[in-house]
Amino acid sequence: MSFLSLVGVELKKIKRSKIMLILLTATIILWLPSIFNADMNFGMQAEGISPENNFLIQGFLGMAWFMFPASMVVGTVLLSQTERSNNGIFKMLALPINTAKLCMAKFVVLLTLAASQILMTVGIYFISAAIVTQIQSYDFILSPLFVLKEAGLIYLFSIPMIAFFWVLSICIRTPIFSIGAGLAFIVPSVLMINTKIWFAYPMCYPFYVITSEYGKLATNLSTAQIDLIPWLPIAVVVVIICLAVSCFRFGQAERR
Amino acid sequence: MSVFLECKKIKRTGFIPTFLSGGLLAAAIPVLNMAVRSENYVGLSDTPLQILLDANWQMMAMLNVLLIVAGACLMYHTEYADNAIQKMRTLPLKESQMFFGKVILLSAMFVVVLVIEATSLAFCSFHWFEVYNDFWLETGKTLGYSLLLTLPSVILSMLISSACKNMWVSLGIGVVCVFTATMVPVKNFILSIFPFAMPFQIFGGTDAERTLQFIYVALIEIVVIGIAELLFIKVRRSFE
Amino acid sequence: MNIIETNNLTKTYADFTAVSGINLHIPKGTVYGFLGPNGAGKSTTMKMFLGLTQPTNGSFTIDGKKYPQNRVDILKEIGSFIEAPAFYGNLSGEENLEIVRKILGLPKSSVTEALELVGLTQHKKRLAKKYSLGMKQRLGLASALIGRPPILMLDEPTNGLDPVGIHEIRTLIRSLPEKFDCTVLVSSHLLSEIELMADNIGILNHGHLIFEGMLDILKQNIAAQGYPTDNLEDTFLALIDADNKQRGVVR
Repeated sequence: MSFLSLVGVELKKIKRSKIMLILLTATIILWLPSIFNADMNFGMQAEGISPENNFLIQGFLGMAWFMFPASMVVGTVLLSQTERSNNGIFKMLALPINTAKLCMAKFVVLLTLAASQILMTVGIYFISAAIVTQIQSYDFILSPLFVLKEAGLIYLFSIPMIAFFWVLSICIRTPIFSIGAGLAFIVPSVLMINTKIWFAYPMCYPFYVITSEYGKLATNLSTAQIDLIPWLPIAVVVVIICLAVSCFRFGQAERR
Repeated sequence: MSVFLECKKIKRTGFIPTFLSGGLLAAAIPVLNMAVRSENYVGLSDTPLQILLDANWQMMAMLNVLLIVAGACLMYHTEYADNAIQKMRTLPLKESQMFFGKVILLSAMFVVVLVIEATSLAFCSFHWFEVYNDFWLETGKTLGYSLLLTLPSVILSMLISSACKNMWVSLGIGVVCVFTATMVPVKNFILSIFPFAMPFQIFGGTDAERTLQFIYVALIEIVVIGIAELLFIKVRRSFE
Repeated sequence: MNIIETNNLTKTYADFTAVSGINLHIPKGTVYGFLGPNGAGKSTTMKMFLGLTQPTNGSFTIDGKKYPQNRVDILKEIGSFIEAPAFYGNLSGEENLEIVRKILGLPKSSVTEALELVGLTQHKKRLAKKYSLGMKQRLGLASALIGRPPILMLDEPTNGLDPVGIHEIRTLIRSLPEKFDCTVLVSSHLLSEIELMADNIGILNHGHLIFEGMLDILKQNIAAQGYPTDNLEDTFLALIDADNKQRGVVR
């Protein structure tokens, strides 16, 4: 069975799981306060950022700090529970599929969920920017290319984090431990981005990248920029280790 | 009696260790913060407890609320996972009894978490600040206030979990609620009465009238959400 | 005296009728066999008795008590075992029963007794999620039998058991009215099985009650209509087939 069709199967499994609805609700709630407080975007002279850029960045900051990582924790719960609740995992393990492949297919589904939430965020951004443009009679809509670039950056930087959550949910079999650990790992990222060793903490990557983008757009702010060394090698190693461990551990408890 | 039963049901689910480690983690925040940059705080004019809370409570409260959401999800997950809830419904027992048993147990665990956090705050006060007379009174008031203001989120997250058969749905809704709460400005009264935002309030530094208002709102919310659950159980029963 | 009576009991879902206006009469102190093919409405009827699902129409009384006014009182008298096993996976068999015991307010010894009755005593310390299908089934039965309730509702209690286990459970059910002075409502899709346990039977097909009464009378009836009676399965199949034809159902 080809990897792609396996991913298709995995996507089918989360049909009717309401996960898209949850992700969408989260993104809508993300932008609502931005719409209500749109006038605050005009008072950013101290930071030196234009209102339309500020509108985008503030929303993305909210997403990258808590909403997006927490949604991914929910996604891992979804993926592990759909298999376990009716022992579907036994059926899967009894079929002639390589378990590592199965594990990777599930990870791709998780990445798909991540991508769809980011795209939803972008979509709702344009809707809310259009609304605010009407209300404030000031053009808040940024070029789609620029918005997609920022969203793409968050997505790329979040892959190590997602891999980490994924390995957590596979290695920790007790659901509350993996949920608790996942959520607890998110909270300190707000501290970690202010330290020199931020690159050692995958959960803060998306938040860090968007903070540094903020710094670039705000002329008076001097937030840290991203040095590819040592971040990139570390990020790659994190992803490789996490995926290797998860593929190795996947289904092991069931086959004991 | 139902609380006792609920204690039995959470055996081997990791519920208690999670709350203990969550409490320890939250307790570690002020200690670490003081250890790393005590110079930022020692000179301030407030009482030590107030300084510590101002500096750390937002994160501690967030961990607390996340802990509550996760705990509530788990408690109903054990009911739904192997269909035990069906057995419970065929026993001469009101579903609401089970619900309130769970609420009480979760609140009790939260008290444990608060005590752990209080210990850490006390340690920080004694270690980095001068000891003063009213410390214990102030701590007691603060924690009592936090407990009361957190109860609405306890009962609401339990309502959410009781409504959702799948754990990710209740967790997802809980996470969205917590996220909404983190975006609420602490000083805005109307928005702060959202049950999940109330635990972020601090007793000190708020004027007496406001605190009283929050206490009333918390009590009203507890009653309203409790009634909502009772109605929900009735409605669901007639639809199944 | 009838301990359970239904009056035109009906359950309709959006697009089909699971139970259609049935009138059951279950005498006290007997084993009543509830017979029908899969999807005939046996489980739905039992679920309505337990308040797990609401009747769309009609009513029933159990031991003179009406639903939904006396829901909790009714449940106090019924020990039940419905469809898929329902239990807490994180608890052992014994702990699961302990919870049921506490809710019912029974003495401690009742757990041991129930475990003994279904033959789970040596596995009582094992986690319920690690049980085999047969053991889960036995655990379900134990949680129904615990405390000797005056009414027992058992939905296909021998599913998933081995031949020895099936025989054991059948014998147990047969002996219950005498031993515990109770009424048993047991469902099955095998007429041969019901014959070994029940005094009275009710046959359901597509939600309709097509026969109710003593087994001997059923045999006389169908012999009179020219159906085979030497093999019970054939009898049952012929009966269902005739009913299907009459209703014009295509399976």
